[in-house]
Amino acid sequence: MDPRLYEEFRDIGRDIYVVNLTSSHGGNMSVRVGDRIIIKRRGAQLGRLKPSDFVETSLFKKDSGLIRASTELIVHRNIYLKTSALAVIHSHPRTAIVLSMSRDEIIPIDNEGSYLLHKIPVVAAEYASGSQEMADVVADALSEYKVIMLRGHGSFAVGQTLEEAFHWTSALEEVCDIILEEHLMGETLKEYRRHSEAYSKW
Amino acid sequence: MQGWAGKILDIDLTNGAVRTLPLDMEMARLFLGGRGLGARLLWDLVGPEVEPLAPENVLIFAVGPLTASGAQTSNRFSVSTKSPLTGTGLDANSGGWWGMQFKRTGHDALIVRGKAEHPVLIEITPAGVQIKDATHLWGKTVFETTALLGQDNQKRNVLCIGPAGENRSRMASIMNDGTRALARGGPGAVMGSKNLKAIVVEGDQKNQPEDRERFRFMLYETGKLIKASPITSQAYPEFGTAVVMNVVNEIGALPTRNFLQSQFENAELISGEHMADTILVKNQACWACPIACTRVTKTSHSEGEGPEYETAWAFGAQLGVSDLELIAEANYLCNDLGLDTISTGSTIGCAMELAEHGLIDSSLRFGRGDLLHETIRDIAYRRNLGDELAEGSYRFADSYNASEYSMSSKKLEMPAYDPRGMQGQGLLYATSNRGACHMRGNMLGPEVLALPRLIDRLAYQGKAGIVAVHQNAAALVDSLVICKFTNVAVAEEYFARLLSAVSGLDFTAENLMRVGERTWNMERLYNLREGFTKADDTLPDRMLNDPVEEGPSAGYTVHLEPMLKEYYAFRGWDAQGVPSSKIEGAGIG
Repeated sequence: MDPRLYEEFRDIGRDIYVVNLTSSHGGNMSVRVGDRIIIKRRGAQLGRLKPSDFVETSLFKKDSGLIRASTELIVHRNIYLKTSALAVIHSHPRTAIVLSMSRDEIIPIDNEGSYLLHKIPVVAAEYASGSQEMADVVADALSEYKVIMLRGHGSFAVGQTLEEAFHWTSALEEVCDIILEEHLMGETLKEYRRHSEAYSKW
Repeated sequence: MQGWAGKILDIDLTNGAVRTLPLDMEMARLFLGGRGLGARLLWDLVGPEVEPLAPENVLIFAVGPLTASGAQTSNRFSVSTKSPLTGTGLDANSGGWWGMQFKRTGHDALIVRGKAEHPVLIEITPAGVQIKDATHLWGKTVFETTALLGQDNQKRNVLCIGPAGENRSRMASIMNDGTRALARGGPGAVMGSKNLKAIVVEGDQKNQPEDRERFRFMLYETGKLIKASPITSQAYPEFGTAVVMNVVNEIGALPTRNFLQSQFENAELISGEHMADTILVKNQACWACPIACTRVTKTSHSEGEGPEYETAWAFGAQLGVSDLELIAEANYLCNDLGLDTISTGSTIGCAMELAEHGLIDSSLRFGRGDLLHETIRDIAYRRNLGDELAEGSYRFADSYNASEYSMSSKKLEMPAYDPRGMQGQGLLYATSNRGACHMRGNMLGPEVLALPRLIDRLAYQGKAGIVAVHQNAAALVDSLVICKFTNVAVAEEYFARLLSAVSGLDFTAENLMRVGERTWNMERLYNLREGFTKADDTLPDRMLNDPVEEGPSAGYTVHLEPMLKEYYAFRGWDAQGVPSSKIEGAGIG
């Protein structure tokens, strides 16, 4: 593994954990390298990644890599097959998870969130971990959106780099924190954006 | 029945007596069934004065409280006996359909004693139990016998021995449903020594859960976990157990050429991936199994089942052979002749090394796959050098004053993990009650696959407790009786709830782990009574004194002594590895 790629994994993984976007052993990340995927191994701590914590496996064909790779390898593979993503981050942003449990979509109310994300769809799968059903609904949603929520489970974000996918993930949680805090304040919002209703159709 | 049928069938082949005994429910609560129940019964039935191939030895076929309930992989059963290969107490375990069907006959166990005057078979049906003449079947292979007796997976299931069992090879398996094996430790030779060719079962009773609603919910929950695990939902179904071949090779723990090396240059050619690309026809499942790891394969000359990982290794890397078709056909042969593939392959590997050194007069050499099939036939029929090999690698090598070439512990051949590259696996092999075995708490999980967490495979301090816990968990799973692959995805807390729903009794995960520990101690006490000591908790010199020369495990031997000391202490045994002779509530001591 290229030491610089490892450093990117290590630094982004550390950031994801430090800013509370996942628990100690939750979440996973991968990048596409040609026809291969490099993905965090199952059970490795995102905040403490070592060079030995990665598995390289084929993008197009299952192989023995899947017995050490993250449980969500099936989802990562499906995303790369159905989208032009080059990096995928899966995390467990807490406020976003809470909102996903009562909404079919999350519409940002702040300016930055509206600008960056417009809308975050919430998708659901009965087997919300590692299943083909889940892989299909997540990958389908990510063919239209750069970050999505899997109801009650967590986020999947794509980008050309890990840093980009991290950006969408942290933006998502910021959006959701603002929605939650606005809800807790209970004050009437003043609309400041034109066509704000269109976000739900994004 | 809800969980247990409450009955043990007891057949004495010497006089033809058939009895039905009540199952002691306190014993059932303490040992559940399968391996645990077998170990407890063996303590009472077979003492140290009994030779393994004497009529006084018994075969105890046992199922568990979950068997035939419909819980995932609740198809399995075990046989317990004194092993003719190791001299230890033995249990061997198999899947398929026979176990489920036997449970449906309304029994928790079948004890077979004595020796028939001529070849016989036992038939257990709703009409009753019959001991029938089987002279016409003696000499038939497993596939022939199974077909002649009317095998039908859903209704009528056949268990039998092949020529290897008849000829009392110490590596002979008992086969059920044609291709499933009670393989290790030579139980087929015990069956052969009793002139018992086959046991046929047809049942009409059901194991109906006491709390059906809770049972359905637990099936749903465990089903989700099995589906979510990439290992049980993708790796095993698509590539079989040989999916670990490349991984084990990569870390330098794939024994090669009788453990002279720990990496095989052609591992890829005998891997699950290569199998899927070449000879695999389809995967197949045992009864009530959602995993379906069985390989149905076809070569240029033949077709059949297998090979799984251990077999692909035993006839592949262990012998320096990389022709997957030849390996698969060796597997078909062993199934048909009734031989344990691991011990057979490893013993041939031992002979190859002896021949390389000029210690025996034989054409066998590493890489001589062309001699493999004929050597296997010779072992089953005890012809030529095969007659000596049929004794297993230890006795064979020892007869040439070369026992150090036998890669075994307690005379059972080590399976497909070089313990120098997996220290915990080394302790596991050395302390395994039936001899070197990976199915007694495989450390592949924590040392390689991060199940449940990744630990340093080359470290030895702190390993003992993890090994012991895995051993206890394996003994539990073998006593329930379900498939260990379920345990890859499903933890003990789920098993406790499943068992509670089926039986109507309250079990906790802690209760169940105690069953595992109790079973392990029971087996240990049995072996001590047989004369085994701490000195038998060891490994071949090569593992202890010859460091791996190349690869990721280079420089390592097994640090057994400190791990063993820690292990005895963890289990609460004394410094000689002796547990308290009293097992709480078990009626011994």
